[in-house]
Amino acid sequence: MTALSEMSMQARMLLQYEVESFLFFEADLLDSRRHDDWLRVLTADIHYWMPVRRTTTAREVHREFTEPGAMAFFDDDFAALEMRVRRLSLGRAWAEDPPSRTRRLLSNIRLLAYDGAEVTVGLNFQLYRTRLNSEEDQWIGRREDVLRREDDGFRLSKRHIFLEQTVILSQNMSSLF
Amino acid sequence: MVDRMIASDRCVDVSACFDPARGVLQRHIFTDPEIYQQELERIFARGWNFMCHESQVPDSGDFFMNWIGEDEVIIVRGRDQQLHVLINSCPHRGNTVCRAELGNTRSFFCSYHGWNFDLDGRLIGMPGEEAFYKDGVDKAAWGLTRAAKVESYRGFVFATLDADAPALDEYLGWVGRLGLDFMLSKGEIRFLDGVLKNRVRCNWKIAVDNLYDWYHVKVSHGASMKLGLFSEESMSPLEQMVILGEYGHGIGGPGISESDFEASVDRLSRGDDTGPWYDARLSERMTDESLKQLGPVGKRSMGHPNIFPNLWITNTQQVCLRIPRGPFETELWWFTYEVLEASVAHRKAVRDRTVKVFGPAGLLEQDDGENWSHSTRGARGVVSKTLPLNFQMGLGRDEVLVDPSGQTRIETVVNEHGQRWTYQAWQDWMMADSWAALKANHTQPPEGQI
Repeated sequence: MTALSEMSMQARMLLQYEVESFLFFEADLLDSRRHDDWLRVLTADIHYWMPVRRTTTAREVHREFTEPGAMAFFDDDFAALEMRVRRLSLGRAWAEDPPSRTRRLLSNIRLLAYDGAEVTVGLNFQLYRTRLNSEEDQWIGRREDVLRREDDGFRLSKRHIFLEQTVILSQNMSSLF
Repeated sequence: MVDRMIASDRCVDVSACFDPARGVLQRHIFTDPEIYQQELERIFARGWNFMCHESQVPDSGDFFMNWIGEDEVIIVRGRDQQLHVLINSCPHRGNTVCRAELGNTRSFFCSYHGWNFDLDGRLIGMPGEEAFYKDGVDKAAWGLTRAAKVESYRGFVFATLDADAPALDEYLGWVGRLGLDFMLSKGEIRFLDGVLKNRVRCNWKIAVDNLYDWYHVKVSHGASMKLGLFSEESMSPLEQMVILGEYGHGIGGPGISESDFEASVDRLSRGDDTGPWYDARLSERMTDESLKQLGPVGKRSMGHPNIFPNLWITNTQQVCLRIPRGPFETELWWFTYEVLEASVAHRKAVRDRTVKVFGPAGLLEQDDGENWSHSTRGARGVVSKTLPLNFQMGLGRDEVLVDPSGQTRIETVVNEHGQRWTYQAWQDWMMADSWAALKANHTQPPEGQI
């Protein structure tokens, strides 16, 4: 068990580099439509969750996001994510046929916790999508990811997505975050 | 109270937009801005609109925001536990007095000049009441405007802005009530926290039309069917039942024959779970109370109800509201409920499935948006907006059957009766300049050959 605060600056820089390399690679898999390869960087026990966000008063801002177990836009395990990927190859998955063009920009990547086996990462993302001739959507938000160290590198074991939208302003969310 | 409502003299004549005898619809009803304005006045402000479920606002001060057309309303539980529906607009400058989507409050305080309103909408104070107004404001006359009527049906809260509207019970009629009863056959329900909201660039009527559409499923949702999320027989069943009610309410979709129903009862009573997909659905209805509530015809329907104009009751423990945002945009609001008496595991399973399937990221739902927006776009071109749309499936080939109980229905295959009924009702609502005129002139639910 290595607490981040006990690690040397050099060790932290190295870990930061490893984490960023993984996240950029993983984002590129999705941008490149290599969805099957993307599934391979997930752990079998992954939790992929996007709660519903609401406008609340400042006094009740603790109610801004729905709690686990309440409604959510995504609350997927590996099997559900596999379904999302598999549907793309089955024909008649119209939300992605013609395929969307997406680009993922990741920034403000911070290591939040590390225990030697798993590293918790906070980051900001922008997911830009265009479809057909003139459809344009973008989603910006914060993610909390957990990367698990395995023999050949990291795997993603948790992705919690907090979007900066309440009413989703796109016709669907057929992209993966 | 709203004293002067929707009595607009201006009227776009839409009486020839839908030809029920030929099953032909004019496309410009999806795009014409004047028609849209008339819909806000003659359909949304006049009809009973779904507001929320009582379980969303259990305590005094709890509020939830919704819309009646483009009028934003606050649904709030008062100090007396009564539900109030208030138009979210300060009588001083028109500013909104509530900016949150939900919450709990002691009053509604306008952020512009500080006029403050009680939970029932009464004006209870403003800065400078003595010094500037010299106590000269009639506070009783300057509260928030209240919906003309607010009523609940078995926990489902509705409101209308038209004082001449009939009581909710009469408005719903047996078909609207049956649609809502479908959700209660398993016992008391509670709405889950979190309404999924997203915007689709389509006219609201295209979304409503789609809920009766059991023709699109195999094509639009082909990929989801191949995933095995639903069995093919449940998504595109051959046997269909359509129930048409007064003022445009309807139920359309799978329905089974009396003999198949009896066979289900037999299988379920023997604990045989190898039967067809609908056994699971029917098993929820097997209490004496539920069977009595649904009636001999209703108990055999597994279709989609629509409470006119825009409340779709799904088969997946959800209701979906289609809120107009101009002729070219619609907001979809997905509310999800759970049955209180169900086991924790069952409640979780239903909720997990709902998250997976519906809402903007839902495996099923994500494929609809583009079809609907492009259908709307197809009504915009100089030529394309003049081209008629075909609503002829099943036209003139079916018969309305009447049960001894009085319940009516059409038993047939995949069809467009529900859509035709919706546009017929839409036309009636749009051509009536008052509730009196609508009551006198609306099309009665069909009889005989249809």
